[in-house]
Amino acid sequence: MRVTRALRKLRGSIHPQYFKGLTSDRNIVEMPLPEKLYLSMAQHLGAPAKPIVAKGDTVTRGQCIAESAGFISVPVHAPVSGKVIDIDTAPTPSGTMAPRVILETDPENTETVTMPPMPDWNERPQEELLKRIAEAGVAGMGGAGFPTHVKLSPPSDKPINTIIINGAECEPYLTADHRLMVEQGKGIADGIRIMCYILNVKTVFVAIEDNKPEAIKTMQDALENLEGIDATVCILPTEYPQGAEKQQIAITTGREVPSGGLPMDVGCVVENVGTVLAIADAIKKGIPLTQRVTTVTGHIVKNPQNVLAPIGTTYADLVSFCGGLTAPAAKVISGGPMMGMAQPSLAIATTKTTSGLVVLEESRVHIYQAMPCIGCGRCLEACPMNLVPAAISYAVEGGDYDRAESLNILDCIECGCCAFVCPSSRPLVQHFKLAKPKIILKRRQAADAKGAK
Amino acid sequence: MTGYILLIISAVLVNNFVLTRFLGICPFLGVSRKMGTALGMCGAVLFVLTSASAVTWLVYHYFLHPNGLIGADLTYLQTIAFILVIASFVQLVELALKKTMPRLHASLGIFLPLITTNCAVMGVAVLNVQLEYTFSKAVVFGFAAALGFSLALIIFTGLREKIDLAHPPRAFQGVAIALITAGLLSLAFMGFANMVN
Amino acid sequence: MDISTIIITAGVIGGIAAICSSALALAAHYFAVEENPQIGELEKMLPGINCGACGYAGCSDYAKAIVTEGEAIDRCAPGGGDVLEALSEATGAAVDAFEKTVARVHCAGDADNAQHRHRYNGIMDCHAAHQLAGGDMTCGYGCLGYGSCARVCPVDAIEIKNNLAIVHPDLCIGCKACIASCPRGIISMVPASQKIHVLCSSKDKGPIAKKACQVACIGCRICVKLDEEAFTMDGFLAIRNYDNDVTNPAVVEKCPGKCIVAVGAALEKGEPTCA
Repeated sequence: MRVTRALRKLRGSIHPQYFKGLTSDRNIVEMPLPEKLYLSMAQHLGAPAKPIVAKGDTVTRGQCIAESAGFISVPVHAPVSGKVIDIDTAPTPSGTMAPRVILETDPENTETVTMPPMPDWNERPQEELLKRIAEAGVAGMGGAGFPTHVKLSPPSDKPINTIIINGAECEPYLTADHRLMVEQGKGIADGIRIMCYILNVKTVFVAIEDNKPEAIKTMQDALENLEGIDATVCILPTEYPQGAEKQQIAITTGREVPSGGLPMDVGCVVENVGTVLAIADAIKKGIPLTQRVTTVTGHIVKNPQNVLAPIGTTYADLVSFCGGLTAPAAKVISGGPMMGMAQPSLAIATTKTTSGLVVLEESRVHIYQAMPCIGCGRCLEACPMNLVPAAISYAVEGGDYDRAESLNILDCIECGCCAFVCPSSRPLVQHFKLAKPKIILKRRQAADAKGAK
Repeated sequence: MTGYILLIISAVLVNNFVLTRFLGICPFLGVSRKMGTALGMCGAVLFVLTSASAVTWLVYHYFLHPNGLIGADLTYLQTIAFILVIASFVQLVELALKKTMPRLHASLGIFLPLITTNCAVMGVAVLNVQLEYTFSKAVVFGFAAALGFSLALIIFTGLREKIDLAHPPRAFQGVAIALITAGLLSLAFMGFANMVN
Repeated sequence: MDISTIIITAGVIGGIAAICSSALALAAHYFAVEENPQIGELEKMLPGINCGACGYAGCSDYAKAIVTEGEAIDRCAPGGGDVLEALSEATGAAVDAFEKTVARVHCAGDADNAQHRHRYNGIMDCHAAHQLAGGDMTCGYGCLGYGSCARVCPVDAIEIKNNLAIVHPDLCIGCKACIASCPRGIISMVPASQKIHVLCSSKDKGPIAKKACQVACIGCRICVKLDEEAFTMDGFLAIRNYDNDVTNPAVVEKCPGKCIVAVGAALEKGEPTCA
């Protein structure tokens, strides 16, 4: 076990106000089961899961209610025992529409089904463990929700030699990963060992920002005596956005992910601490991913804290569990305030990727009037991906998507630093979010047309 | 050697064909909407100006000059002879390109007829005579003039592409704002004045 | 001036001209490239606005496709009947009579009629608004009114009036650019001769649709009962079948959702062209 500092400073970064003190010192609290759960089928990146239950079916806690719909997809399990009262289509926290299963909780039924635990995991073949991780529905819990079994089975021409455990949690307000590291260090260490076994990797970095000294200490203790593994706790300066995987790889290992590439192109796998814990639970206890820690925070939340809630809990339930609001909410954000999505209502339910729920009052929400670009270049300095946000946003605004593409808009990680620093309040990252899906769609159509010929 | 370098600097920056001598304004405004076409135009101008300098120098010194083959002072035929020679020469090249290099023709071809008797081409031919350049100097001057034209066109196209995305007020849209930009660009090039004569 | 000057001048110019023209003649012979002259002819017949409605990069591309690939000649919407006739004459291809089609936004939910479920303060673009949980309107199908279609219209035929996009049928050239630009997919081409339309795209059940918008199809089927030929149902949404004319104009009066609208009548009354 070693402790290091970041190799270099992040290129392009910002220092927003963090407000982490609202929740960072408080223990994770388990929430009583809500009456109804709304389970979206699109909780991960890739094809939405296919429901295998019908309206009126009774389900048991831990039972699989939707199966994965392809390689890049994961199943969904029932977090509680109860009855399926409806299956409909509704918006997910990320704004897309997806089918969802509505469960009515049966408080009487405390039965739980699990998959057989694998205490002897280090004697089983890797494929079996990967299959289990897929069956347990584990998807990246940092925000994007990339299916974990896919990440852990890289193609043979891309050997992995480094695992990076992402505990940076650079988003303001959020402390869910922080508290997990403090309280569940042992479980995370188990997950790390399992991941190292699956990928046959010896080098592990645990990246934590220096505003979480408690977490750094517990992770140091937990990583002591991991036999055969060269574990390093890498202390990063507090900066946004170093929780982004490409940035994190650069500052912990010094490797640069090529444009359009993936971490595996430089031999790295980056996993969020929550995901690592879910892997450990799936393998050692056979428990599928049905609950997660969500930071419920905001200055108008009466009792802001980290809540361990079943997936599918509505935001309204989460907020009322935290004592309700002291003032009317003006904006509700799922995830952190930098990259999270504003939500249309509190009726939306959490998913496997909901790391936080930030409730902001009127005085903290600004409606900006976008002004013309004054060419000051601050967005260039702030962009961690070395892009030219001003020029790209110009192109998007003018409808010239080809130009935007030639300016590498697809490398944008949508961190929002450019819009954060813009003195003209231009909606830079909003433009990129608008144009990227269209450009990707166009590329795909062009590729399809080529394939058809 | 120094003479040639000064000649190039002079033709590209100090006495820029478009922005100081105001020659070749038509293609300068006409094909400056998209960088792709502008680059095609630059290629065509580079070729035509260089070769036109060479051809017109030969015609002038061998046919029209009193010391030429004919032996009579025919310099008053300069304009008509130059137009004739340049026009047919460019046509000839276009025909040859179309057959032998269809790819190059597709990117340059449409611009060649556009600039056959352009004022920039005539200008370079007449200036060669006026300034009494030798053959090699005339060719270098033609090439440098085209470089200057290309520089101005590329800068201008870059500006116009940005302006097109920026929604100027309706009254300024299109050529109006382009002319204002061209004027400002010309002013900027005034900064090179008297650097080299 | 003596005559020899004129003769020398004529001789020199004539000589140069002769050399040049013979070189050109030789070049034209040796470098001749076969090219179908019809492409140029057809290109001249096309409108030349390069709108892309035909699916090609521009008018010249389309002309080339007609000649070399035998592409159908009825794809130029802005050209209308005249161009079709000219193309038919030139290529000898037979065509049906041309029917002018114009774009129509199948929604009447302006700011007064449609309910909103949250405030949207992102960028003024329909796609951006639609990306966020399906838009800020309670109705998941209606026009968002942020003007993405109006911005792509090459002839400024689309107006955003009170948060609702309205296509002016007399200005529309039928290029279909707006159809692709609409994230809701509620713009479609309708025959310009047809005046009665269903101005709703909501597939929600009646009560839900009605709650979201005052002018919504509630799936009551009255129009289908009144005029089977001209209306069909798609779930809870009435669809106008433009193959047949409306024989019973009473549908407009009888529609309880007020979403079946006669365009001509409103025009005569001097009301906005959307209704």
